[in-house]
Amino acid sequence: MADQVDLYIELVLDGTSGRPLYDWLSNRQSLHLAEDLYLPAVPLIMRILVVDNGGQWTHREWRVLRDLGVESEIIANTTPLENIKADGLVLSGGSPRVGLDQEKMGKCGDYIDKAGVPILGICAGHQFMATHLGGKAGPSKIPEFGKMMVTIDSEDDLFKGLPETLVAWESHNDEVLEMPPDFVSLAHSDNCKIQAMKHTSKPLYGLQFHPEVEHTDNGYEMFQAFIDICEAYKKA
Amino acid sequence: MFNADKFIEEETARLEREVKGKAIIGASGGVDSTVCAAIVGKALGERLLAVYVDTGFMRKGETANVDKMLRRLGVNHIVVDASDEYFTALKGVIEPETKRKIIGEKFIRVFEREAKKFGAEYLVQGTIAPDWIESGGGIRDTIKSHHNVGGLPKDLNLILVEPLRDLYKDEVRKVARALKIEVAEKQPFPGPALAIRIMGEPTRESVEIVREACAIAEEEIEKAAAAGKMKLPWQYFAVLLPVRSVGVQGDIRAYGYTIAVRAVDSVDAMTANYSKIPHDVLEQISIRITNKMKDKVNRVVYDVTNKPPSTIEWE
Repeated sequence: MADQVDLYIELVLDGTSGRPLYDWLSNRQSLHLAEDLYLPAVPLIMRILVVDNGGQWTHREWRVLRDLGVESEIIANTTPLENIKADGLVLSGGSPRVGLDQEKMGKCGDYIDKAGVPILGICAGHQFMATHLGGKAGPSKIPEFGKMMVTIDSEDDLFKGLPETLVAWESHNDEVLEMPPDFVSLAHSDNCKIQAMKHTSKPLYGLQFHPEVEHTDNGYEMFQAFIDICEAYKKA
Repeated sequence: MFNADKFIEEETARLEREVKGKAIIGASGGVDSTVCAAIVGKALGERLLAVYVDTGFMRKGETANVDKMLRRLGVNHIVVDASDEYFTALKGVIEPETKRKIIGEKFIRVFEREAKKFGAEYLVQGTIAPDWIESGGGIRDTIKSHHNVGGLPKDLNLILVEPLRDLYKDEVRKVARALKIEVAEKQPFPGPALAIRIMGEPTRESVEIVREACAIAEEEIEKAAAAGKMKLPWQYFAVLLPVRSVGVQGDIRAYGYTIAVRAVDSVDAMTANYSKIPHDVLEQISIRITNKMKDKVNRVVYDVTNKPPSTIEWE
């Protein structure tokens, strides 16, 4: 026999007409309510922090992680490593221009070297990761702002099951020009060769585009994939 | 996912715990400040006074409508006409950041006056995430100073309370629906109001042009959406440009100003794409604006830029 739930709904009646204020039975929302009663097994709560490099969308990264059920906080990029307890870190984007004001990236280098958890660098975070580990980042020949098409060249863990090309929103004056040793590129656009990169053996990832904004296709899936990476890393 | 009921419960409890005396709230009649007034009103009751400031830059019929809406909401409120003060303070000002800061400071001065009369020591604002993000500070660049953040004077003598600080508009709307607030779906409207839809000096004359243009754009777009011709955009309005161009009206040369129509789709205002409005709707807006204001405006253009690289408002 199929699983069955009994749903008790109290009708709220309008004071004057005596009719239900809300038609529960024909309302789609009420069906979602019923579905929500099948609770999944209690998941492992992951704690992934967002390192604030001053980006316009730092807070969006926090929101997406929270929406996906992760415990998250935004922390200053000057937070000493020993005060950080996390299963993963996101290095946000920001106004600092790589090469011009590296010091504004705070202790991001420390985190990359010593945090020992998966790290996802986004935009400035991605560019910083590249330069810090021996690659090169600098002004883009053609900077990208707003809606662009990104082609996924290698699915890897981060883009598992996603379409080969997708709409991604960008906002960058600089980009990764040369990857650091042991990194591979995972995606590109017409104007930017390295839209995504990862280390071949360590859990270090970088994205030039912004998966955290509403207008980027499949952004939530990419964050979920990063959460899964953090979870697998924690269990291993 | 964001849980509106839980948010209302937790915030109300927190406000009851933390706000001990009287408070005033800056209420524009928009979604953010109305939700805020409802939640704070739940916690404070008669100890809250909502203050609506008529800056002189409000849209057509706005002050009267908001007055009625706040009455229906059941929160203590007053309407303050400060338009003379605003026009005087903005005389000759064209730089967008200066405009925003002057307007922000003026709001606070009005709030301080009203707080004193009411005996309030707290100032509640409906500040949401994009307001403080875009206002910048620290390592974050200032995109634009939102009046409720970047416009705050250093010598503010009221304690700020901002319950919606971490929410985006889509989340505020969820809270608004949970509270059955009538303006839940109202389009966003910036605090500096029409003053930042005039690319130039905000005067009584220029605000009249953009007020009429905004009313026509809103009316036509809402009518088309209601008729199923298009989806109602997230935000839609008109902007008065200082650019003049040549036209011909009744076989006579004209030399008038330009109105830009702007409509965007967004979820949280942090990214936006321009709305694909049908051409016949745009044409109707153009015809009405150029006929109604033939002495002032003889050209209408449509803005086809996304955010980024542009922002939703022009200033």
